Amino acid sequence: MEHMNTARPRPIRCKAAVSKAAGQPLEMEEVEVAPPRAHEVRIKILCTSLCHTDLTFWRMKDFPAMYPSILGHEAVGVVESVGDHVEEVAVGDTVVPVFLAQCGECADCLSARSNICSALPPNAATGMPRDGTTRFSLAATGEPVHNFIAVSSFAEYTVVDVAHVVKVGAALPPEKACLLSCGVATGVGAAWKVAAVEAGSTVAVFGLGAVGLAVAQGSKMRGAKRIIGVDLNPDKFDIGKRMGITEFVNPNDSGDKTVSEVIKEMTAGGADYCFECVGSAPVMAEAFRSSRMGWGKTIVLGMDGNAAPISISSIDIMRGRSVVGSLLGGIKPKDDIPVLAQKCLDKELELDEFITHQIGFHEINSAFQLLAQGKSLRCIIWMPGAKEMEENAA
Amino acid sequence: MAAGEPLVIEEVVVDPPKAHEVRIKIVCTSLCHSDVTFWRMKDFPGVFPRIFGHEAFGVVESVGEHVEELAAGDAVVPTFLGQCSQCVDCRSARSNMCTNPRFAVRPGMPRDDTTRFSDGEGNPLHHFLGVSSFSEYTVVDVTQVVRVNPAMPPSKACLLSCGATTGVGAAWKLAKVEPGSSVAIFGLGAVGLAVAEGARICGASKIIGVDLNPEKLELGKEFGVTHFINPKEVGDKPVSQAIIEITEGGADYCFECIGLAALMNDAFQSSREGWGKTIILGVEMHGAPVSLSSREILHGKCVMGSLFGGVKPKQDIPVLADKYLNKELQLDKFITHEVDLENINEAFDLLLQGKSLRCTIWMDKDQ
Repeated sequence: MEHMNTARPRPIRCKAAVSKAAGQPLEMEEVEVAPPRAHEVRIKILCTSLCHTDLTFWRMKDFPAMYPSILGHEAVGVVESVGDHVEEVAVGDTVVPVFLAQCGECADCLSARSNICSALPPNAATGMPRDGTTRFSLAATGEPVHNFIAVSSFAEYTVVDVAHVVKVGAALPPEKACLLSCGVATGVGAAWKVAAVEAGSTVAVFGLGAVGLAVAQGSKMRGAKRIIGVDLNPDKFDIGKRMGITEFVNPNDSGDKTVSEVIKEMTAGGADYCFECVGSAPVMAEAFRSSRMGWGKTIVLGMDGNAAPISISSIDIMRGRSVVGSLLGGIKPKDDIPVLAQKCLDKELELDEFITHQIGFHEINSAFQLLAQGKSLRCIIWMPGAKEMEENAA
Repeated sequence: MAAGEPLVIEEVVVDPPKAHEVRIKIVCTSLCHSDVTFWRMKDFPGVFPRIFGHEAFGVVESVGEHVEELAAGDAVVPTFLGQCSQCVDCRSARSNMCTNPRFAVRPGMPRDDTTRFSDGEGNPLHHFLGVSSFSEYTVVDVTQVVRVNPAMPPSKACLLSCGATTGVGAAWKLAKVEPGSSVAIFGLGAVGLAVAEGARICGASKIIGVDLNPEKLELGKEFGVTHFINPKEVGDKPVSQAIIEITEGGADYCFECIGLAALMNDAFQSSREGWGKTIILGVEMHGAPVSLSSREILHGKCVMGSLFGGVKPKQDIPVLADKYLNKELQLDKFITHEVDLENINEAFDLLLQGKSLRCTIWMDKDQ
C-alpha cells in the first residue's frame, strides 16, 4: 500500500474495521491515518487478535464506549514512520503496541511495585494519550473516528504513542508476538509478578479463556503443585490440562455446593492464590471465598463490563486474606514483554495452544462470534499480505 | 447481663484450669471497642450473661496439665488470638491465624466449648474470646497466654494484649510501612493512634488522621499525625478526595480502624493507584460486607485484612515490650483514664462518648 517513508510522513489511506454501534458487526471502511506527531509512532499492523475486553467495549452503549471507533489492542506490527523525539524505535522495527504505557520516568515506572505509569495513566477515554485527539478519520467524509485504549489495532495502520510501543525483534513469529501484547502477558505476569506464586502452591483459576490459561501456564512455570481450573465449559478441561490445569471444577456439576465450598473441600481450607479471569464481580467474590485463611490472595484480572462492585465479607478478609487487582498482570511492558518473548523462543513458554483460529482481516466479525460463543481462545486476524510475507520469510 | 446493659459486679466461681489451660490473676484490664461491639449484640455470636474483656495483664495463679511453658508467678498477657507454634499457619511467616485451636467468637473455651465460670447459684457464665478479663481471675488456653518481661509496667503491658499491638503490628508487620511513605488512618481511637505510632517508628513522612471528633486533632499530633481531616468539615468533597489531594495521588497505606464497611470503602478509594494498600483492622459493627470497585482494583490496588495486625502473639509481643522498655515505642500516652473494677461501667461511658483512648481498670487499685 505505502512504501516506508522516513522523511516527513504523509497521511495514509487504508482499511479499518470500524465499530459504529454497540454490538453491531464492524464495517470495513477506508480511513485516513494521520502522520505520527511528536512522541508517536505509526505502525503497519501484521496481525491482531481479539481480546474479551474488546468484546466488552464493543457491546457497551454508553461512555466510555464511543462511536464510531476502531477497537483492537492486541497486535504486532512494523514501524512505518516516527514522529519527532522518537529515539527508541526506528522505521522497520518489529513492535507490539500495548494499552498500558511505560514512560520510564515517573514514580510508578521507577518503582518495582507498580506498572501503572502515572505520567500517561490508563483511562478508558479515547484520544491519543498526550493530546486527547484522534489520528483516524473516514476517508470519504473526513469524520473523525475514535481510537481505543491508545492502540486501535483493527486497522492496517495505526498511530501509537511511543510510551505504548515495545520493541520485540523479528525472531518470534508475529502470531505469537501478538499474544504478548495483552492476554498471555496478563496471565503469565499475574502468576509471576502480582502473585509471585511459589513452588508447591495451590492455585485456583476462575475462567479458562486465554488469560486464565496463561495464568495456569505461568503458575506451572513457577512450580505450583495444584492448579484448579473453574469454567462452565467442559471442553476447557482438555486444553486446560495441556496448559497445566491439574483439576477441573464446573459450577454446573457441583450440585448444591458453591464453587468456593467445593474448592475449600478439595484444598482443606482454600487455595493459596485465586485468580479471577472472567470479568464478573460475583465471580470475583466467589474467588475470594475460595481463598485460604491466613495468607490467601485473590488476584483480579477480569474487567466487569458493568463496573459492578465486589462484595467481600469483612469477617473473611480479617482472617488474613487479601484482594489485589492489576492491569496487564503487573507487567512493565518495555521491561517484561521482551523477557516473555525470550521465554517463548527458549520454549519455556508455549503459545501454540492459545491460537485456535486464524482468519483474514476481512473476516474479522467471525472472530467476535467465535469468542462470544466460547469457541475460541485466540483468533489471529491477519492483515492483507502479512501472512504471505511471513510464510515467505519462514 | 443483657445486650447494652451496664455490667453488674458479681461474685463468681472460677474453675481450675483443665489440660492446656492457665488460671490467671488479673492485675489490670482495659476496654477495647471490640468488647463494646459484642456487648451490644443481641443475636449470636452475642450471648449473655457474659464476662467481657480481652485486653489485660496478670500473673499466672495455676496451670493445668501439659502446660510446660508457664508457671505460677509468671507475668503474662492473655491474647484473643492464639499461637500454638505447630500448625501450618504458626510455622509460616506469612500468617498469624493459628488453627490449633482456631480463632472464633464462641461462648466457651476453645478446646471443649465449656465454661469455667459460674455465678453464685451455679449458673454458667459465658466467656469472651477465651480471655474474659473483666474478672479478678480467669482461665485462658495456654496458646493464648504470652509471657512478658516482668520489668513491664502492668498498665502498659496490658495495652500490648490487644489494641496497641494491633495498630503498631499493622504498620510494622502487615503493611511494612517504609520511610517516606504516606499513611491515612480512619479512626483515631487507640488502634488508629497505635497505627500512627507504628508508622512514626517506621519513618512515614505523612500520617493523615481522619476522625469526626475534633478533639482528636490535638491528641493525634502527640502521636505523629501530620494532617487531620474531619469528614464534617470538608464540605462536599469526599474524604478520599481530600486525602488524594494531600498525598498527590492517594496514600501508600490506608488503615481502617473503626469497623464500618463504608469507611473501608473510603479507605480503599483514598489509596494510591499502582501500589496503594488498604488494611482493614476494624471489626465491622454490623457484620456488613465491604464493597470494592471492580474497576479501581485493577489499577494496582490491594485490600488486606487481619486480626491483631498480623502479629504472632508469643513471638512479637515480647519484641514490642522490649521496644517500649528501650523507649523506641511510646505507650504511656494511650492511657487517658483509670478506674477500679467497681466503676468499670465508667470505662464504657468514656469510650462511647469518645472521651478516652484506654481506661485502665485496676482489679486492686493498690497495684
